[in-house]
Amino acid sequence: MSFDPQHIRNFCIIAHVDHGKSTLADRLLEKTGTVEARQMRDQILDDLELERQRGITIKARAVAMHYEHEGELYELNLIDTPGHVDFQYEVSRSLACCEGAILVVDAVQGVEAQTVANAFLAMDNELAIIPVINKIDLRAARVDEVLQEMQHSLGIDPKEVLLVSAKTGQGVDQLLQAVVTRLPPPAGDPQGPLQAMVFDSHYDEYRGAVVYVRLMSGRIEVGQKVRFLKAGVTHEVAELGKFRPRMTAFPALETGEVGYLIANIKSLDQVHIGDTVTSVQQPAPALPGYRRPKRMVYCGLYPADGQEFNELREALEKLSINDPSFEFVPETSDALGPGFRCGFLGLLHMEIIQQRLEREADLDLVQTAPNVIYEIVTRSGEVIEVHRPQEVPDAGQIAEFRQPMVRVSMIVPSEAIGSVMKLCQDRRGEPQSTEYLSPTRAMLIYHMPLAEVIYDLHDKLKSVTRGYGTMDYEFIGYAPADLVRVDILVNGKRVDALSFICHRSDAERRGRAVVKKLKNELDRHLFEIAVQAAIGSRVIARETVPALRKNVTAKCYGGDITRKRKLWAKQREGKKRLKSIGNVDISQRAFMAVLESGSES
Amino acid sequence: MSAMESPPQAELHAPAGPRVLPQVRGWLPEPAWRADISSVYVHIPFCRHRCGYCSFTVAAGRDDLVPPFLEAIARELALWPLGPPLKTLYWGGGTPSHISLQAADQLAAELFHRFPADGLVEWTVEANPSDVTDEWCRQMAQRGVTRISLGVQSFDEGKLRFLERDHTGRTAREAARAVHRAGLVLSVDLIFAVPGESLSLWKHDLQEACSLEPHHLSTYALTWEPGTRFYAALKKGRVTAVAEDQEAQMYEWAIEYLQDRGWQQYEVSNFALSGYRCRHNELYWTGGNYLGFGPGAASHRRGYRWMNHRSLWNYLRRLRSGQSPIAEWEVLSPESMARERLVFGLRRCDGVDRRWFAVQTGFELEPFLAPVYDLWLAWGLLEDDGQSVRLTRRGLMVSDAILPELL
Repeated sequence: MSFDPQHIRNFCIIAHVDHGKSTLADRLLEKTGTVEARQMRDQILDDLELERQRGITIKARAVAMHYEHEGELYELNLIDTPGHVDFQYEVSRSLACCEGAILVVDAVQGVEAQTVANAFLAMDNELAIIPVINKIDLRAARVDEVLQEMQHSLGIDPKEVLLVSAKTGQGVDQLLQAVVTRLPPPAGDPQGPLQAMVFDSHYDEYRGAVVYVRLMSGRIEVGQKVRFLKAGVTHEVAELGKFRPRMTAFPALETGEVGYLIANIKSLDQVHIGDTVTSVQQPAPALPGYRRPKRMVYCGLYPADGQEFNELREALEKLSINDPSFEFVPETSDALGPGFRCGFLGLLHMEIIQQRLEREADLDLVQTAPNVIYEIVTRSGEVIEVHRPQEVPDAGQIAEFRQPMVRVSMIVPSEAIGSVMKLCQDRRGEPQSTEYLSPTRAMLIYHMPLAEVIYDLHDKLKSVTRGYGTMDYEFIGYAPADLVRVDILVNGKRVDALSFICHRSDAERRGRAVVKKLKNELDRHLFEIAVQAAIGSRVIARETVPALRKNVTAKCYGGDITRKRKLWAKQREGKKRLKSIGNVDISQRAFMAVLESGSES
Repeated sequence: MSAMESPPQAELHAPAGPRVLPQVRGWLPEPAWRADISSVYVHIPFCRHRCGYCSFTVAAGRDDLVPPFLEAIARELALWPLGPPLKTLYWGGGTPSHISLQAADQLAAELFHRFPADGLVEWTVEANPSDVTDEWCRQMAQRGVTRISLGVQSFDEGKLRFLERDHTGRTAREAARAVHRAGLVLSVDLIFAVPGESLSLWKHDLQEACSLEPHHLSTYALTWEPGTRFYAALKKGRVTAVAEDQEAQMYEWAIEYLQDRGWQQYEVSNFALSGYRCRHNELYWTGGNYLGFGPGAASHRRGYRWMNHRSLWNYLRRLRSGQSPIAEWEVLSPESMARERLVFGLRRCDGVDRRWFAVQTGFELEPFLAPVYDLWLAWGLLEDDGQSVRLTRRGLMVSDAILPELL
């Protein structure tokens, strides 16, 4: 069954984590009879176990629902969007496939940082917005205040706001009517050349890449030869269809429709979100807005047991089939042995990948402290990208050291404003604006180095606001800063895995913290050990591990011989697994203690 | 190491075979139970109370278990073929001086029934100062005891209290004099590096100990054994161990002080006047053969090592029901045995004699030493006079950190 564009509505739901997006989506599927109530698994759109666990939608999904309004049948395509800033680009592509958005705000929690970020993103994409306050059935619901917050932070007319309880179903019918009446039908020329936007994909072991598309103009049919403009590849369409919510084949898709395309594509590497699919016969220009996904955060992943390197590689390869947005290259650390340098869209993305690795591949991982990508302009004018501290050239060769900056928006209880401002100031934030959403809540906006954000800002924000503060950030560009690479030396030998980049004025404090920590983790040796932090050849912090003076078992009688021999044999085995740097044996545990915590400075 | 369990219904008093008692068959590999061992340890697991640092097998305040214990020891002894005359005998604990004279007599009778006492050159009994009177010493001497190892630990009241000992400095001094009066060899045990202990307190303890003119002195740094109350308190941060440097200072001071006064250090913790080393303990350190009886007692014969169940209750129950008292045994290859002799031999101040080593083990010493020899010499950890190698003072002080490399 095909619908003319007038009877199609493409929309998404945007919300802060936990504000009930998935429950609302479930209710829409149920009310429209797309899924029968008894088949309903809770939150059907979040089909990855991990997503369920975290309550976060990682990948976009698209479902076609049928809904009768005033005697006419409409197709409502719900395009699910990831709710987190790490997937901002993916969100923006999903939004570009919609004409409207349901903006969900929790009746108790109120407007949160991600609500604002996503709402503005939707507005920027010129979507019609249906504002909704959800969870009105809760006793603690404070509908009037939340209305006020929505008005203040987003300029939403309280009269337009629908009151809904996704849980009980209250207000959901009105919401469906509003989707039909308030959202515009898709524009686009059905007779024009084929122009379809790729907004997501997943990998099917039997059929290859399943590409999610929205037809902006023209039509596409099975057997047609199509070209992916950015990927620069041509394929023959093997199957087309819609998600209802299971994949259901159709011979063709028309302008304004949302569905999937299978074309014998062997790898998701060739499927770029934001790419344009067009006809080989009658090509159209690429749609605007395409970008390569930008990895913002890097970290090293090492098997805790050095033996598992190959298992880790296989697991990473398997994961990347379904998520080409993270990348990994092998690297070897003196300290941790062979492992991988991995790039992620952001912190959450990193965490998700790590958890999936540990769960799905049953691997025990050591993750090094995350770092951002720096840019260095050398004296010769060359711009290099630095993914890890070891790649920073000598100070003499650096003309400019740049770091990624982000715009951080935080929504916090009014009484916490002072401590949040202090927190941001400590992390080199520059205040941009402070705005009261209501007498009790305020939105603060700062520009801040991304490195400071990924360091610990989120945890610290939660702690100074007793859990009530939320934050979101977006990349705004690179800016020069007074940065240095700090090396950690053990008996004069650099320990590669422990080098870090930081602001010059923090170098001494952080260097001292790491040196102190490492000192405490090192066992005494037969000789004295110097543990130093240095910028280039200048030592900025030093600790000494004195030589071992006494380590001898006092009693060694009949029964102790066996016990002692076994203990010593075990010690000896253990020592073989230690990394020796400058003759100093450093345990994996020591590295982990220093690496995982960063430092408490 | 494999744990051996016998069928529960094994006969205890089956007729003896030509060479060995059949009861032992299956509990240990055959080469382990030849009747050629002339050194015996008996573990007497009774104490008035358990001190917080003690990890030995002890049933504190359970004197009612002495009779079943004696019965069990008798059964355990009966498992073994008649042995050769004993050369050394060591009664340790627990507190051997805690049991009554009648109990001691009964134990000795059972023991000497299996192992004739005529050739005995050293019989040590560990004693708690509170138990030691002139009469007790006289009785011991009469029975053939040659040596009393007195658990003095300290003369300082505060330190003794911390260690949860039930005697005073005065009691310890009196006990030492009683041992002397009975003409027995006196060995004094001291503990150092007790939380809060200063170097001067330790010096004072050593001086006091020397003034009692013992023939033999053992000075043990306090060890924090897992499973003890002290260990738990340390882990919970309720007490703080003496810092390594301070402990080292105490240890070094003791070595110098005692050497200056004519005691020769012959092992990590042991000092003796000439001719008064503990022969039984030297067996442990040189890879000799010995049998241990009682709960937790360890035995060794030519590379076969085994150990009894540590719990007194298990030990009693098993022997009562005809089960093996042996909890575990292992057999070392000739090479492992040689390495063991080297490692434990280096804890002795005489070191390891090349010829002795070759005769005892069938291996040359050099290949075992080669990987560390140059480095240890260069770092002053080892010295070599061409005949023997020995650890230097510095080597001995850090021996736990270096000896594993020889295993």
